[in-house]
Amino acid sequence: MKNRTLSALFLLAAPLALFSGCKKDSDTPEATSTGSVNFTVQNVVPNTNVVGVQPPTPLVLNSSVATTSTGETFTVSTFEYYLSNIKFTKSDGTTYAAPDTYFLVDQATAKTLSFTVPNVPTGDYTGVSFIVGVDAQRTGLTNPLDFTGKLEALNQAYNMYWTWNSGHIFLKMEGTLTSTNPTKPLTCHIGGWGNNSTPNAIVTATPAFGSNKLTVRTDKAPTIALQANVAKLFDGPNPVTLSTFMGAHMPSAQSVQIAQNYAAGMFSVTQINTN
Amino acid sequence: MAAPSPKTWVRQPLGWLLLAALVAVGSAAVAHWRQPAAAAVLLAPPANFPAPVYEVAKNQPNEAAFELGRMLFYDPRLSSDGRVSCGSCHQQARAFTDGQALAVGVAGRRSPRNSPALQNLAWHRSFMADGGVRGLELQALAPLTSAQEMNTPLAEALAKLNANPEYRRRFAAVYGPGKIDTPQFLKALAQFTSALTSTNSRYDQYVRHEPGGALSADERRGQALFQAKCSGCHATDLFTDESFRNNGLDTAFPLDSGRAHITLAPTDAGRFRVPSLRNVARTAPYMHDGRFQTLPDVLAHYAYGVRPSRTLDPLLRQPDGRLGIALTEVQQREILAFLATLTDTELLTNPRFAPPAARQETNPRGMQLSAN
Repeated sequence: MKNRTLSALFLLAAPLALFSGCKKDSDTPEATSTGSVNFTVQNVVPNTNVVGVQPPTPLVLNSSVATTSTGETFTVSTFEYYLSNIKFTKSDGTTYAAPDTYFLVDQATAKTLSFTVPNVPTGDYTGVSFIVGVDAQRTGLTNPLDFTGKLEALNQAYNMYWTWNSGHIFLKMEGTLTSTNPTKPLTCHIGGWGNNSTPNAIVTATPAFGSNKLTVRTDKAPTIALQANVAKLFDGPNPVTLSTFMGAHMPSAQSVQIAQNYAAGMFSVTQINTN
Repeated sequence: MAAPSPKTWVRQPLGWLLLAALVAVGSAAVAHWRQPAAAAVLLAPPANFPAPVYEVAKNQPNEAAFELGRMLFYDPRLSSDGRVSCGSCHQQARAFTDGQALAVGVAGRRSPRNSPALQNLAWHRSFMADGGVRGLELQALAPLTSAQEMNTPLAEALAKLNANPEYRRRFAAVYGPGKIDTPQFLKALAQFTSALTSTNSRYDQYVRHEPGGALSADERRGQALFQAKCSGCHATDLFTDESFRNNGLDTAFPLDSGRAHITLAPTDAGRFRVPSLRNVARTAPYMHDGRFQTLPDVLAHYAYGVRPSRTLDPLLRQPDGRLGIALTEVQQREILAFLATLTDTELLTNPRFAPPAARQETNPRGMQLSAN
């Protein structure tokens, strides 16, 4: 119905437009020049095979063994999370918040491990931040039509949504705890956005650039290489003892603690390439 | 909420022209598709009803979409074992309940709760006995994906629909070509579920002074008692204030904490949604866990059976310290007589709400529905 209505409307509108000489809103002054910023995400586990500090190794689902700081070990069968509300900071402290940036990173789907933020004003940036999860305003939307177009990553069909307690699952890690005998399933579904005064697990990560700089030009699309260490879910401000961990399946105080962990230490910027 | 038309239009004279054209074309289009009678109730509610909560304008009533929603509602292929449809637990003659204490899903699995009646959903602010679901369209996702109910991930349901030529054709007829997606699926279902209105019981006719709207002396006494003793929770002609309350079923709630399952607040333990009492004579058994077989059992609970707990609703504590609602046997009978006037045969028997196959026999327009 909508399509027919719209086409009928355009037929009506076309002759009117000829006479009206109307102006579009886009006649407002042109924004400053922009470029794109690419992101790559590599999920990793800590490297504990050799003595001394070693770089982490890439996460391989159902194979890699992740070790927590207390020596507990687990394997991972599912690792998915939202990165949203990406914001770039310049050295003078000004920021650019990229609108409608919602990306679902899924270790099982290679094409989700990189994405692009377009229309970033050109300039030299010294920092980036993002919500690991979804902001309350968007996860609280109730019309399914809202999760289309630019918000398509939030579509409930991605199975990152609690159907019994409306809201997105911000991060999902499923696997097996292997340091107990017998081993036991490990389920970590983190979310909660503060509706009905419930626990709010919306957290922002600000991985440091270090000596790196992000140079955005119209003819340069730099790439930020992000690394996410899955073991950091259980380390950081709120260490979790996995042998007694009952799993996280709903918005809860435990959910918030794990969110604080992954906000604090899971992400790092390993490199920024300027093409 | 923002209007669906682009904001830029309304800032200019041309915008208003376009808007007028849109309205004109839009109304013609809607008229062309013949609005279901139930949609009229949503667009212009009866005098004793408030405006619906559901934004009907964002899912314009449309006969083809309604029929599609009905087909989905009654389609067991959407469940993991191919045997459970929405209609399995929501049967029309029982005001879309199932007569079971606890709902039965795929492979005979028992849900932890009693199937709620489906009626006047467009007036709900939240859904489920604990209020965890925040919209009519989102609601369908809960039973679809629950392991105890239909046990089908949304992506799988969409894949099944997209693999079915009949669904492809019917969705395309309503929403245009392309893949069947989440909004199409949920909006089509909501066309059907929002149309399940109950506004024409004998009680409604009575309060609206309509023909046939007579209550007997017993029923009127029951109505007065109901007003005095029950309407604190079962308020307005929706017969619920949509609050969550602990009605004294137990002293502790270890298995199902109700509203506290969502809010995690100890003060919400044992609180459940106040259900509407429309068609209540047809929705046995009663309570969130179906523990009471009959309405007299329910009234007896309020009269003698209310049990104390920290979150017991204050309305169930009498000034003298006794629990429950003071009701003599005679008063209980009168209230029962009144509750029976809330039965709305229009909802219970309207062939438009029956499974599509059943409708073919009684279809007054002789419209041919293709077999599944």
